[in-house]
Amino acid sequence: MAEQRKRQPKVCDYYQNEDQFSPGVAFCSGCALELNLRFVSRVLGKDIIFVGTPSCSAPVLHGQNVEAWHRHPYYACTMTGVGSSASGLTRYYQKAGIEATVVCHTGDGCSQDVGFQALSGAAERNEKMIYITYDNEGYMNTGIQRSSATPFGASTSTTPTGQVGRGKNTGSKNMPLVMAMHDIPYVATASLSHLEDYAKKLAKAKEKAKEGFAYLHVFCPCVVGWKIPTDSSIQVCRDAVRTNYFPLWEMEGGDFRMTQKVPNPKAVEELTKTVGKFKHLKAEELTVLQEQVDMRLRHLQALCAATAAETDA
Amino acid sequence: MTVASARETKVLTGNGAAAYAAMLCRPDVVAAYPITPQSEVIEQLAKFHADGVLDCEYVTVEGENSAQNVACAATMAGGRAYTATSSYGLVYMYDAMFNTAGYRAPVVMINVNREPPGIHAVCSGQQDMISVRDSGWVQLIVESCQEIMDTTIMAFRLAEDYDIQLPVIVNYDGYYLSFLAESVEIPFQQEVDDYLAVLKDQPPRPVLRPGVPLGCGSHGMGMGYVELRKKHMAAMERVKPKLEEIDEEFERAFGRSYSGQVEEYRTGDADIVLVTSGSAVGTARTVVDAKREEGVKVGLVKIRLFRPFPVQRLSEALKGKKAIGVLDRSIAFGWDCGPLYQETRGLTPEIGIVPMLSFIDGLANMDITEEHIGWMIDDINEAAQGRPYQQVRWLP
Repeated sequence: MAEQRKRQPKVCDYYQNEDQFSPGVAFCSGCALELNLRFVSRVLGKDIIFVGTPSCSAPVLHGQNVEAWHRHPYYACTMTGVGSSASGLTRYYQKAGIEATVVCHTGDGCSQDVGFQALSGAAERNEKMIYITYDNEGYMNTGIQRSSATPFGASTSTTPTGQVGRGKNTGSKNMPLVMAMHDIPYVATASLSHLEDYAKKLAKAKEKAKEGFAYLHVFCPCVVGWKIPTDSSIQVCRDAVRTNYFPLWEMEGGDFRMTQKVPNPKAVEELTKTVGKFKHLKAEELTVLQEQVDMRLRHLQALCAATAAETDA
Repeated sequence: MTVASARETKVLTGNGAAAYAAMLCRPDVVAAYPITPQSEVIEQLAKFHADGVLDCEYVTVEGENSAQNVACAATMAGGRAYTATSSYGLVYMYDAMFNTAGYRAPVVMINVNREPPGIHAVCSGQQDMISVRDSGWVQLIVESCQEIMDTTIMAFRLAEDYDIQLPVIVNYDGYYLSFLAESVEIPFQQEVDDYLAVLKDQPPRPVLRPGVPLGCGSHGMGMGYVELRKKHMAAMERVKPKLEEIDEEFERAFGRSYSGQVEEYRTGDADIVLVTSGSAVGTARTVVDAKREEGVKVGLVKIRLFRPFPVQRLSEALKGKKAIGVLDRSIAFGWDCGPLYQETRGLTPEIGIVPMLSFIDGLANMDITEEHIGWMIDDINEAAQGRPYQQVRWLP
């Protein structure tokens, strides 16, 4: 144990409690979402109330009949009702003078597509809560269909490749930036390859959620849906950061800041060549993807410069 | 802004009465999204809130689906929650309404009846409430502004009762009641507090709190699902006697009674009966009196409880009658009749085979006039004499 502490001293420092999830839960082998859930739970503490929906996380978060796989208070709702249900909980706690941290935990399909209205509404009202999107770039639980988070060119079961089809023909919605444009107290992106950075952001989100809405967008590869080996999800996370495909940044009180500098970014191909859903992409299609990555980074850098925030990485 | 600090009589619209009643019941959370003809309810509540006489969290949501989810979650956290909607808003809540009912969350909701989408009628009609009849909610429907006030108070008493724990809709006709100004007696705050005080003495229901490992909304697999459905159905059945009990309590406290599930008017010695609900009941009562003057032995049954359906009380009221007519302000697609008629026909084993006539009137703000109801009673009377009759009649 002492040796383990030595290897990861900073991340462990953020842990509030023992793992609240039982071993052997119903996630796929190599699932990054499982790591995400256990990590969020340990950093934010066992008193948090999770709000979730039918999704990959549902078999574990919902439980079955009277059996549960974790010891958190949990509110399950429809995919359309996450931001709103969490608002109902926090508003009542405020009325009753009960101190509580309500943490929404949903996939990208819920937050960016079908549940977007409720999420946007809750953010606009600046409800006091944390909303975490685990972004696996599609509807993985229902069989790997495309969502608005699916990137350009990716092959999914509703954007398959074929004689004519070349995967998804539009890019993804730049969700964390969309949320930042709500002028909420805190927005951050996080990757499971950079846990220390992630832990800091979770801790900050918990503080910020006492004042208003905190949004975290977490990169969360799916081994089945992305067609990657079960031992590779963290490496894929790292590649996503190093290619600027998924830059790590935060916005605090309107000020943007890169939290992880990438001095010599790799080409996006370094990421896509390891991921099965991109395997069919030709050079010109990779160029389109690369241009989108570059464009988003320029936007982000411009925002950072405009708010004159300092980079500490 | 003055607010009733003592029992007083005011001229209020139906919407105004609904808002006053909600305020008097001291909800912890109000979730609000505007829609014609409901808007006045939530505007009035916003004003109460702004004036500091309504101490609640007033959540101005971005749509009705969210209104329903806010209210549901607030009750599951332990609060008292209220929302109001109509028509398009009600159907936009559809998935969330199943959630609320499935959680047995005691939300109280006003639905101001209006025609639902498709043919864009910004008009009264009860098709909206019919569209959610199998969502697991208790549904009440009322006739007057005073009844809106009183039934809303009773709805909180019913929804949060330990034996019930079900969400309740109070329906009233848009336009005919929502914007109708009548004199309404507003109870003392203390009286309403006393009336609802019994809810505080019940065993506590499970609530979601920080640090308490309690799941809300587990997967119901196999028998787990069946068990919860059976319990929900049993609670629905308990609503019927409970509503009678609550109505009696209400009469003791406030001096007004609405006869629980159904109200019978001159049915005792009647040969024929007209069944209806909502704002049309007042007109029907007048016509029944007039027909009685002419020697027609006609009675009237007003449905107050639509879900669960008042099978026993309605059967008793209709047993032994020679012919029955049912007036609907909505239609049952695929049955070529009105929904209330369709359900009343389901009582045939209890009441026996007699001519039963369906009248569809009042769709999209078409007035249900005294003349129309006169024709209906004439039709029922003809059928009772053994003459041929038209089973379904659309009016006008």
